[in-house]
Amino acid sequence: MTDARTGQSASAVGQNRTPSSAKRRGIPDASLYVILVGIVVLMTALNPQRFPTLSNLQSMLSQLPILAFLSIGMMISMLSGGINLAIVSTANFTGIVTALTLWALTAGHSGSATLEATALAMLVGVAACLLVGAFMGWLVAYVEVPAILATLGVTTLLDGVNVVLTRGYTISDFPDALLAIGNGVAFGVPAPFLMLLVVVVLLHFLLNRMSFGFGLYMLGSNPIAARFSNINTRAVLMGDYVLSSSFSALTAFVMMGQLNSVKANYAESYVLVAVLACFLGGVDPFGGAGRLSGMILAVIILQIISSGVNLLRVDPFFVTAMWGAIILVLIAVNHFTGRWREARRLAQMHGRGAPEGAAPPARPTAMPTEANSSSQR
Amino acid sequence: MSAVVRAGGAAPIERLLKRNEFYLAALIFVLCVSITAANPSFLTLANVLSFLKTSSVNGILAVGVLFVLILGGTPDVSFTAIAQVVEYLVVMATLRWGGDIPLALLGACALGTLMGSVNGFIIHYFRVTTIVVTIATLNVYYGMLYVLTGGNVIFVVHPMFKQFASLLLFPMRSANGAVYGLSLMPVMWLAVLAVGWFILRRTFLGRSIFAMGGNEVAAQRIGVNTLWTRVFVFSFVGLLSGVAAIAHTAIVLSAIPNIIVGHELEVIAAVVLGGASLFGGKGTIIGTFLGVLLFAVLKNGLVLLNFSSYWYDVTIGVAITVGITVSAYQQLRAQRSRVNVKVEPVVVP
Repeated sequence: MTDARTGQSASAVGQNRTPSSAKRRGIPDASLYVILVGIVVLMTALNPQRFPTLSNLQSMLSQLPILAFLSIGMMISMLSGGINLAIVSTANFTGIVTALTLWALTAGHSGSATLEATALAMLVGVAACLLVGAFMGWLVAYVEVPAILATLGVTTLLDGVNVVLTRGYTISDFPDALLAIGNGVAFGVPAPFLMLLVVVVLLHFLLNRMSFGFGLYMLGSNPIAARFSNINTRAVLMGDYVLSSSFSALTAFVMMGQLNSVKANYAESYVLVAVLACFLGGVDPFGGAGRLSGMILAVIILQIISSGVNLLRVDPFFVTAMWGAIILVLIAVNHFTGRWREARRLAQMHGRGAPEGAAPPARPTAMPTEANSSSQR
Repeated sequence: MSAVVRAGGAAPIERLLKRNEFYLAALIFVLCVSITAANPSFLTLANVLSFLKTSSVNGILAVGVLFVLILGGTPDVSFTAIAQVVEYLVVMATLRWGGDIPLALLGACALGTLMGSVNGFIIHYFRVTTIVVTIATLNVYYGMLYVLTGGNVIFVVHPMFKQFASLLLFPMRSANGAVYGLSLMPVMWLAVLAVGWFILRRTFLGRSIFAMGGNEVAAQRIGVNTLWTRVFVFSFVGLLSGVAAIAHTAIVLSAIPNIIVGHELEVIAAVVLGGASLFGGKGTIIGTFLGVLLFAVLKNGLVLLNFSSYWYDVTIGVAITVGITVSAYQQLRAQRSRVNVKVEPVVVP
């Protein structure tokens, strides 16, 4: 009796340490499509006049890229088994550096900056952003600081630097070229969305067709095996954080264009939403699993929820509570579908008449090895 | 498990030099000396008592964070939201129904424990990372507080909080006639530290927490009830959030619905600087105390040295980044000296 109980809960513990295959996949794409359709129907029913309109679709398409870029940045860091809590701070930092450079180049008349000056300022912003990414990558890959701590430290640092640089004020007035990134429309499609499409295609190739992406997934699923497979894990990890931060730069330019201003604490709450999007998109926080397609679907779902709820004019703090509640519901759903799938798999295995002894254990029971503890970084 | 197994045989000085707490204490000492050199009013009894008072809220919360970090995995971030909700509700309840401080404290602890235990149960039954669950509960608690109360600031609290705040042990009179002394908030902090130390070092429960942080499966095999140990830890975090809420109310004498939320990273950073490992099974009460003290000294020093408040976040950020870098580097060096198997990737031509 006691043995059975202990055995059962021990295997549950094992699942905690090494998520089972069902968990690793998270919510598969198929159920995301179901959720997507469900949410669209729900929002249309709640808001028949304002939700299913072309203008709402356009506004959603122009808002989507900010969330998408941040979530993709978060996902890239999670693929290695880490997390990048600094994405929003890095984006604000990039925006502020760009704005200040522009201001210095044009002697205070940023609004009428030439195209060259704008490009130069953006370049400086990107360089600053990549520097931040490289610093975080160095901390995580070479000093072996746990990612959550390294990025947390950098977040605090950048938030402070941002306030010092701007003295807490809002910097505004940007040239038309920069505003076009946020507000431009080509063929009826908002420019940021076109940018997102291009970036997603490029990223797809980087993650799924190139050795860097392969190394990244391998590093995330088992860092020791990756090192023994002749993958330069430190370099991949470093590149991972630089890549993750570069999405902060994209976010920064879209935000600058749309808001025509930069400030130290814009979009702070998006860190949470980005984590939520990764969770919904089936990215494993322990690394090694997570697909771009699931991620994009998750971002679209969250944007529809956010826009739809916004149209209903509810309390913004209710939305905050709702994000939290959605995570909790997802956790529960994930748990029960995982268990259900596991049970069905076992039943199928036994149904096929596999001998009792030959049935493999449902999941590794006791593997608190170094690989697991280091994959938590 | 290094907290349980002590390095034997080494000379006391050598053992001291190996401890994180020693360097932290040395750093605080150097900071104190240099700040005092620039502004002698830093190291006066009145100033020290005053910054102990203001940092007691973070200090109380830090003990809870220490427990979670020892238990293993990622840190809890929902404790600020719990403290926030408890503070607001207790202030509202005492304004409406009256009561006294012990009753308010009891209510705050009960409410906090309840909210914290929710985290424990969810994490145990659904097997999700602490940070994901607690980010979710943080938002639920915080969002619901705003939705249900409208987020209004309560400027006037029940007079008993003011009485409580003005109670002084060892009252003294400074040169210009102002009365100062040890108020009860740092005493609460010390009491919490003592209780935390007792649980961690003198009870089976404390052993269980360390054991689960070291290796959860092994802990379970030796008979640790992982469900109740985990639920205890998260309930304890909630309970301490309740205590911190009362201390905070007595310090600020108002209830502002967004004043505590947002400080979670600062508290976690203090605990981590104090030597608690993010991989579980490691951490000390004295280290946590020193970590909080370091931030308190930094904050107070910056004010006394006339730095603009903008610089506070930068300094804290630098302190955190440098602190974690140094401690990670030390760990790396210790690992390298222990393991002498070299992993040389085969270079394929």
